[in-house]
Amino acid sequence: MIHTLGVARRVLTQLVHDRRLLALSVAAPLVIIYLLKLFLDTMPPGFDVARYAVPIAAFLVHFLAFLLCAIVLVQERTEGTLARMLINGYRRPEILGGYLLGYLGLATLQAIAALTEVLVLFKLSYSAGILIALFIVVWLLAIASVMLGIFISTFARNAAQVFPFIPLVILPSVFLSGLLVDVTRLPHWAQVLGHLLPLFYANQVIQVLIGPNGSLDARSGDVAVLVAYSLVLLLVASRTLAEAE
Amino acid sequence: MDAIMVEGLSKQYGKVVALRDLNLTVAEGVVFGLLGPNGAGKSTLIKALVGALTPSSGKARVLGLDPLRDQRDLRRRIGYMPQEPALYSDLSARENIAFFARAHDLPNLEGCVDDVLTLTDLGDRADDPVRTFSGGMQRRVSLACALAHRPRVLFLDEPTAAVDPVLRARFWRTFREMATTGVTLFISTHLMDEALLCDQVAVVRAGETVITGPPKEILDLGKTRLTFHRGAAVERQTIGGHPEDLAAALHARGLAAEVTAIEIERDTLEAVIFGLIAPQEQENHG
Repeated sequence: MIHTLGVARRVLTQLVHDRRLLALSVAAPLVIIYLLKLFLDTMPPGFDVARYAVPIAAFLVHFLAFLLCAIVLVQERTEGTLARMLINGYRRPEILGGYLLGYLGLATLQAIAALTEVLVLFKLSYSAGILIALFIVVWLLAIASVMLGIFISTFARNAAQVFPFIPLVILPSVFLSGLLVDVTRLPHWAQVLGHLLPLFYANQVIQVLIGPNGSLDARSGDVAVLVAYSLVLLLVASRTLAEAE
Repeated sequence: MDAIMVEGLSKQYGKVVALRDLNLTVAEGVVFGLLGPNGAGKSTLIKALVGALTPSSGKARVLGLDPLRDQRDLRRRIGYMPQEPALYSDLSARENIAFFARAHDLPNLEGCVDDVLTLTDLGDRADDPVRTFSGGMQRRVSLACALAHRPRVLFLDEPTAAVDPVLRARFWRTFREMATTGVTLFISTHLMDEALLCDQVAVVRAGETVITGPPKEILDLGKTRLTFHRGAAVERQTIGGHPEDLAAALHARGLAAEVTAIEIERDTLEAVIFGLIAPQEQENHG
């Protein structure tokens, strides 16, 4: 556990030292949410803005956590620090755990900033219980994103090679997770593909939470899938975090 | 017990053979130089010895431990300095050293970090980000990271590559000092003149050992060219590299009064090693 905390501390220290990255990581979702507000303001009266705004805030955290983690892990591989960590005695689960804690810290900051802006800009109000549940869903999604980033980094030999994975991994999430359209209207194969994406389950839970009489219990199955998704990716990522051969 | 033992070690990446049936032993407390041109398999051998890759066949032992099976025990006893700096540029020298040292659960982490900062002469810049350091200073931080936990065997992969001559001399002074305390140093280099600073060397080429032994013995395999000046006349003779060969040549000729000067030109170690490598190189390309 000490080693895991050591890796997390190192990740957070790096983030604190790289103030530009930290500022951009928090500012980017805020700017995008403001642009979303301008876009949704053009919709006819009665349009359900919450249905899009809240899941998009979660999506932005998901996207940035995935992207940052994938790029940083590729850098760790190419610059030899990952091999050095392993040779010095850090174990794979400790490295993964450290990354998870470190980037979860950043994801928490992003989630607080993004959800607060959504609530203020779109004049939404939820009970404390619903807000906590929303944070839990965003956190779970961020865990899956960090693991997905680590997993995807295995297939890239340099940071530039991460970018083709963005449309491959992220855009299907937008189209097939129910964020934009009802998934039941999609072809069967696309529905199946959608069910393989963590954002699908996060969106399902968020839609129930922000609806009337929302509660986490109603979609406990989806929450369980999100947890399982993270655990499976954790296992896959720990296997693919190979030593430098 | 030998500090390092390698027996029939091979490593293949698809069709590319990086190590081919390699054998060598390194006694404890010696400075061992692994020499060879770029791509000879030096880094691959070091990675196999530190447990960072699985050999295709053969056996390796470091301090009697299997680098893969006894990974946890071994990693406390070895230090590794890779070819690239392998540092976090946003972190300070102190933070980098402390991070890698923390993996070894040292009882006095801060003290150990301070010690290696002093040893590598980084005390003044200890808290500056590594990105502001010159290449040579980054190499010093990298060396400090490998030393903080006081390893018994130190693997250094081209530690003096792209390092200025002053720092290079300082590095070698540190290596020699460490060897006097019983630390075994396994140093790879493509700079042939560094071989003379080692107690033992192995020359590798295309994943194979060409020769092993003390550098002096390898130097003796070279040629010596003698030029005798007898007034205006000049005579040339090529003899072996052993000191006995020189004595024999001089005895044979006698030192007549008309010999006004003798020029002696010995092969450098670099020339001897190149001579050993070149025939194999021609064979591989032939």
